[in-house]
Amino acid sequence: MFIKSRQKLFSKASTALLNHPPNTRYNPFDASFPGTLPQLNKKCVHLALRAALALDCSVQSRSSFDRKHYFYSDQPVGYQITQHYSPFALNGRIILPKSERSDTAKSTFNPRTKTSYIDLNRAGTGLLEIVTEPDLRSPDEAAEYVRAVQSLLRAVGVSDGNMETGSLRCDVNVSINRPGESPGTRCEIKNLNSVKYMVAAIKHEIERQKAILESTEGPQQVQQETRGFDQDRWETFKLRSKEDAPDYRYMPDPNLGVLVIDEAHVEEAKSSLPALPSETRARLLKQYEGLTSNHVEVLMNLDADREINYDGDVNGDDPSVMGAVAYFEELCKPQRNSRVVANWITQNLLGQLSALELTFPSQHMPPTRFGELIDLVDSGQVTRPTGKLLLKHMLTTEIPSTKSVKEIAEQLDMLLTPSTTTIPAASDVSPEDDALHRACLRAIDVLPSEIAAIKAGNSNVMNKVIGWVMRETKGKADVKRIRDIINDTIHRK
Amino acid sequence: MSLRSNVARICSSVRRYSSDARAIIRERNQNVNAFVSINENLPSSSTEDPTLHGKTVAVKDNISTSSMPTTCSSAMLENFTSPFDATVVKLLQDAGADIVGKTNCDEFGMGSLNVYSVHGPVINPFRIDERRSAGGSSGGSAAAVAAGMCDSALATDTGGSIRLPASYCGVVGLKPSYGLISRWGVVSYADSLDCVGVMAKTVPEVKRVFDILNVHDEQDPTSVSTQMRRNTRHIVDQISHSWSKDPKSLSGLTVGVPQEYFPRELSPSISHSVRQVIQHLQHLGAKVVPVSLPSTSYALSAYYVLASAEASSNLARYDGIQYGLRVPPPPGSDLTKTSNLYAHTRSKGFGSEVKKRILLGTYALTADAFDNYFLQAQKVRQLIRQDFDRVFRYPNLLIRLHQNHHVDSGSELLSLSESHHGQIDVLIHPSAIQTAPPLNANANAESSSESNGEEQDKDKDQKDRDLDSYVQDVLTVPASLAGLPAMSVPVPVSLSHKNHTEQRERDKGIDGWPVGVSVVGQWGCDEVVMRIGQVISEL
Repeated sequence: MFIKSRQKLFSKASTALLNHPPNTRYNPFDASFPGTLPQLNKKCVHLALRAALALDCSVQSRSSFDRKHYFYSDQPVGYQITQHYSPFALNGRIILPKSERSDTAKSTFNPRTKTSYIDLNRAGTGLLEIVTEPDLRSPDEAAEYVRAVQSLLRAVGVSDGNMETGSLRCDVNVSINRPGESPGTRCEIKNLNSVKYMVAAIKHEIERQKAILESTEGPQQVQQETRGFDQDRWETFKLRSKEDAPDYRYMPDPNLGVLVIDEAHVEEAKSSLPALPSETRARLLKQYEGLTSNHVEVLMNLDADREINYDGDVNGDDPSVMGAVAYFEELCKPQRNSRVVANWITQNLLGQLSALELTFPSQHMPPTRFGELIDLVDSGQVTRPTGKLLLKHMLTTEIPSTKSVKEIAEQLDMLLTPSTTTIPAASDVSPEDDALHRACLRAIDVLPSEIAAIKAGNSNVMNKVIGWVMRETKGKADVKRIRDIINDTIHRK
Repeated sequence: MSLRSNVARICSSVRRYSSDARAIIRERNQNVNAFVSINENLPSSSTEDPTLHGKTVAVKDNISTSSMPTTCSSAMLENFTSPFDATVVKLLQDAGADIVGKTNCDEFGMGSLNVYSVHGPVINPFRIDERRSAGGSSGGSAAAVAAGMCDSALATDTGGSIRLPASYCGVVGLKPSYGLISRWGVVSYADSLDCVGVMAKTVPEVKRVFDILNVHDEQDPTSVSTQMRRNTRHIVDQISHSWSKDPKSLSGLTVGVPQEYFPRELSPSISHSVRQVIQHLQHLGAKVVPVSLPSTSYALSAYYVLASAEASSNLARYDGIQYGLRVPPPPGSDLTKTSNLYAHTRSKGFGSEVKKRILLGTYALTADAFDNYFLQAQKVRQLIRQDFDRVFRYPNLLIRLHQNHHVDSGSELLSLSESHHGQIDVLIHPSAIQTAPPLNANANAESSSESNGEEQDKDKDQKDRDLDSYVQDVLTVPASLAGLPAMSVPVPVSLSHKNHTEQRERDKGIDGWPVGVSVVGQWGCDEVVMRIGQVISEL
């Protein structure tokens, strides 16, 4: 998995994006010029450490780098610097040994002219290698595992884990055995660049190995080999047999010496480690009563798709750009009902943003403004349908930031009543009573035909309205008080 | 006279001097073949630091310069000019030095006689007509200094490449402690052993240049930190305090003479000269102690395994793609593998000695051989270091640094050295087993080793000679493996001829050619080594 760092693992050249023109992001070291020496990028080490902690690895205080030799056109120096003999993180709880190595350049092959073009932009970008024990039992489990690692490392800002752009690739070892028997001979499928392909490749490989073992011409052995996946034919194919496996002639790198990660560094990384997805999920559900797990999933998925900043900067360069969870929490700060806030985000804001083909980022609707809008509806000054119209207006029209949402609503003639008469001033009522008021106002808002019936004199309908409020307040309210508030409010109009 | 005209006058005299220097180089180089490029750009006179103003410095051709080619004496890089200057080159220029040109060497630093060079062998200028080797691999740098073509020269030493030619050519050559001088821009042969060093006619001249280069460089990951340098300095100062205040006296100093460094192959003339030096040091008040470094006999084989392994890795980059020589594959070649494409360039571009070492190193790193060769050699290297550590009065600070023992204060260092049991300040031993060998036997090594072996006897002779050239390094390799500072100083002529009539000289095989004696100190004690070197040169 590529480490999302601004500079490369062993050189000061900038890392590249796919859209950078070829051979614009390298320096003499990346092009393997004689006399150049590697310089380990401390930011990469820090991010790798963060990944190790997120994966609950035991961090080795001393680790070292080795050269893995092979001739390949996108490998200008003739070796890759990796951690072969002693990787810096071992024994992750979900995942086992992990090592760090730098990536080769990307080479594109033009089949027509049989000419290779070599792009050194990516040569030397830090790469995290995460290796598991043979613990996964099915293609689906493998898919789940990859997604879990992906979202975990995104959440801690280590990598964008993007498979389409090649930031994450998988090599999968597949072996099959009958229940009770020891594991069969494995085949490695290299360079899978999407979860979909990975699942397909594993499935195909299982069938292929099954066919060999159950051959009608008598039982045969699966040969240990390295295979590729053909995305057009949707099947795996042989790359090389075990006998052809290259001898990488690993050698300790004589320049980089020992990588020392001391206790203090680990502690610092621990204390600055962004919350893991599982922790955030648990915290949200605990902290915000009324928030459903569905709400939490929507918010967290929004965050999972966020752009990952360079060098593990989870807060981002621009403080006005906020993640969905942070946005939600900001809105809840002034004692707003978390369920109401979450509903507004998930049911209204998201829908309108996607209709306008805008992505979530908070700059389209700063949390303070959105909060004002929610309060206007919640306090009954604006009806819910009107509130939605107001939201759309605010998303599509340039509005001077000096203008409050209420002023906008006023201008658009959206306010229901003069604001002074809506509810008693907050100081006059207890918080519970205030919450009950809000619930009643919402009931009036969402049950317009029932209210009309009550107004028309059909007092039986009142029970339906009371029932709605009781549900909303989880049965904690006094029925008589509800009746009074509703009567007061609708007759005052 | 105004300041301005004063400066102008100095500048013009420097310029005249510089162009004279080039004329001298051009004239003398015809016979010596020490220079492979001459820098036509005269130094800018604008540098603030005047330390090396008016000083001419030559640079070995495996050190990158942006104004001249950096060929490493290889056909592979014959037309290669680096896009950047090595840190050492920049430091010299900033100090006002006049970089006069690049010097011949063995291809990528691999060789002991400077005969494996695409530019041809270097002729030892001591007596041109005798056609002897200047030594290698830094033969060009040594010969350039010896022939008076420059004031000093930068060279590199991986297993003796500075000390051996210094000894053969009769100049001073310093291989500093590993990690003191930046290797950024120095073309790697074996990173864990490569050191940049200085050659000149006198010790103070060497020291002047060394002091400019002895600074931390963040572009070299093996460059020792500024803090570590300060700590080392502190320890060296403490050592110096225990010596006599009289600069002519050596009382308080303990000199070790390692018995393993006087092998059977050592020519009698060399052993005579070195014994003379030791006696004189004793007269000056030094305590002389025989010591044993028992692992020495394994050093040479360990060195060739490790250096070749690293070379096979470092030289993998020369593939004809990014820079340097490119030999296009003949039409119809099988290009399904990248290595097939590279093979044409690499077969053509590398000389026989380089190929031999790449093959040896490649083998030593294969999965089957790794444990028996590479790991074994690393263990020997460890033993060699321990040998030195046992005899020296203070511990090897670099090793402690690598093992991550945080040594933060000078006093901590001193307590370390107090608990240490050795008593030696410096070791003294011959730099080479013989004086400069004649060139004719090896001059055509390049072509003859590529013969298809039709004549068996000739082949066997050649093999013996090949082995001989490896034995040249036997005395220099241990200090390289341990990363220690080592300096070869010419034994003053008055000493090597003492007590000998001309007849007896001939009997003893004394040929009148320069003899080098090596001073080796603990890691970081370069100052001490240079100080003793200076005393020897004044005997």
